[in-house]
Amino acid sequence: MAKTATGNNVSVPATGQDKAKIATNKREAGHIPDFEAIEASASFRELMKKKKAFLISTTVLFLGLYLLFNLVISYTDWLSAPFIGDISWVWVFAFGLFAMTWILVTVYMKRASKFDEMAHDTLKEFNYDEEENR
Amino acid sequence: MNATVIIIFLVIVAMTLVITYYAAKRTNSASDFYTAGGGLTGWQNGLAIAGDYLSAASFLGIAGSIALFGFDGFLFSIGYLVAYLVVLFVVAEPLRNLGKYTLADMINARFNAKKVRGAAALSSITIVIFYMIAQLVGAGALIQLLFGIDYLWAVLLVGFMMTIYVLFGGMTATSWVQIIKAVLLMIGTVILSFLVLQRFDFSILEMFAQVKTATPHGEAFLNPGVKYKIPLDTISLMLALVLGTAGLPHILMRFFTVRDAKTARSSVMWATWIVGIFYVMTIFLGFGAAAFVGSETIISTNPAGNMAAPLLAQALGGDILMSFISAVAFATILAVVAGLVLTGASAFAHDIYGQIIKKGQATERQQMLAARYASVGVSVFSIILAIFAQSLNVAFLVSLAFCIAASANLPVIVYTIFWKKFNTTGAISAILTGLVSALVLVSIGPSVMNPEAGVAIITGTPLFPLTNPAIVSIPLGFLGGVVGTLLSKEANEKKFSEVNVRANTGGFRQL
Repeated sequence: MAKTATGNNVSVPATGQDKAKIATNKREAGHIPDFEAIEASASFRELMKKKKAFLISTTVLFLGLYLLFNLVISYTDWLSAPFIGDISWVWVFAFGLFAMTWILVTVYMKRASKFDEMAHDTLKEFNYDEEENR
Repeated sequence: MNATVIIIFLVIVAMTLVITYYAAKRTNSASDFYTAGGGLTGWQNGLAIAGDYLSAASFLGIAGSIALFGFDGFLFSIGYLVAYLVVLFVVAEPLRNLGKYTLADMINARFNAKKVRGAAALSSITIVIFYMIAQLVGAGALIQLLFGIDYLWAVLLVGFMMTIYVLFGGMTATSWVQIIKAVLLMIGTVILSFLVLQRFDFSILEMFAQVKTATPHGEAFLNPGVKYKIPLDTISLMLALVLGTAGLPHILMRFFTVRDAKTARSSVMWATWIVGIFYVMTIFLGFGAAAFVGSETIISTNPAGNMAAPLLAQALGGDILMSFISAVAFATILAVVAGLVLTGASAFAHDIYGQIIKKGQATERQQMLAARYASVGVSVFSIILAIFAQSLNVAFLVSLAFCIAASANLPVIVYTIFWKKFNTTGAISAILTGLVSALVLVSIGPSVMNPEAGVAIITGTPLFPLTNPAIVSIPLGFLGGVVGTLLSKEANEKKFSEVNVRANTGGFRQL
């Protein structure tokens, strides 16, 4: 799989060669897909809506928490208060940011496989075969 | 230098050369050379990303910094790790879906303009050169300390090895050197962490209690403020770290070595776990060094604290462990510089020669030759710069590289993928505004201008107060994109539909 996976193994940067390649692709048969139609389709818009909702909310969350942490440790000494023994709150929050990163990555991996399915449906709707075009 | 060091050192060199030999046989096309044929799996690429990212500065520098400055030494690691969320959410998948070998490819999926490609190549090359000088100068100094070889010979040795890997083995050899290095680095760090924790009876509380009294800073060691005392400077730097990773060309290039967006995504997941666990363990290394080596010994060996980890290895595991850790540090250096050479070469040979000069009409043979010439060129150029930069304080160069990446590359990536009205003029202006403002602000800032003679390149009062200008230059980069776009009447909306569909579905790659 790994070795044959990339269709662009035969490197074709040139537009002339690209056209030749599309022409040889039996299904594409020399015509360029109507991207505006795909973009306007209900399934693609649904995918983008879900994707953006997830990405924007999580990005605001993690960047916000990260900046907040930096502001607090730079301008105040609130987090120098002890948590347990000699471990102060700053370590707890620092590790919290680590945990946040791992959790968000894990959550995204799950979400993204749903996005993949939706994308797959959109492509199928417009007769694009993913396997054939790898 | 004792016999164990020489043996372990030679084993690592031999191992990487064997890899290069086999990789060379499989490197027959430009795609093989730049992307290892795009055939790496998620975990392989994840390890390679970690191998590319965890430089000797991370391994020796952060451990040393924690040993000397406690929490402040650890602070950067938070930014370095959270940054992977930006990589995962914003750049990894669109990059794989739209690009071929370089960042410029991805931006040009939308614009197809030579000027945009040229600007993107220029910023990539600038970042690579700064990063590379920092790595090579650091490497020279480290190898001098670790193995007792002269600085000049140390730089030449590292330079020679990196050229061999890239020239013959291309991305396949580079990736496997990075993978092996990541594994060795993790093994070394786990062993050291285990030995440190053993000394504290596996009690984190006990570790904190002992470290509190072990350093001259006392209790302050365990809290922020020992090293970074200027709030705005710290925040600016942390901003550069969290946003810069997603614009580092040598990290971005790693997303072209996998077959699809799904694999690119899972490689970020692997990298996030490996890098994160590594950073957690550097706390044990740093605290261990503070407690069992002592800051006096660490500073007297190397004022920046770079020898903390090897000295800790010596204290806990004797000569053999110290030799192993030194060898790991050497492998670390090699893996990072090889990745940088390849990235620089791709910008010269693929973007500038292949696409701009040859207009994408270069034959496979011409592309391969150009890639190899460019690799040698980038290597020789950076070796020469590194030799002359020996006495320069280059520590700020890495943070400068992150700052340029965040200011020049991130805005253009974000706009290309998300902004319908974005156009060619906007792309050029985003890249150049970010690049120029970062460079200018650093060169009139405290890293270059210092009132005390001999501390920095220029003696005089700095015109810009912050060491890292990210907090100003990143907004300027984003602003530059908006202003450029509005000043031009050109519309690019039809092309945006294509980019939007391709970036988000992974389809129509061959177009």
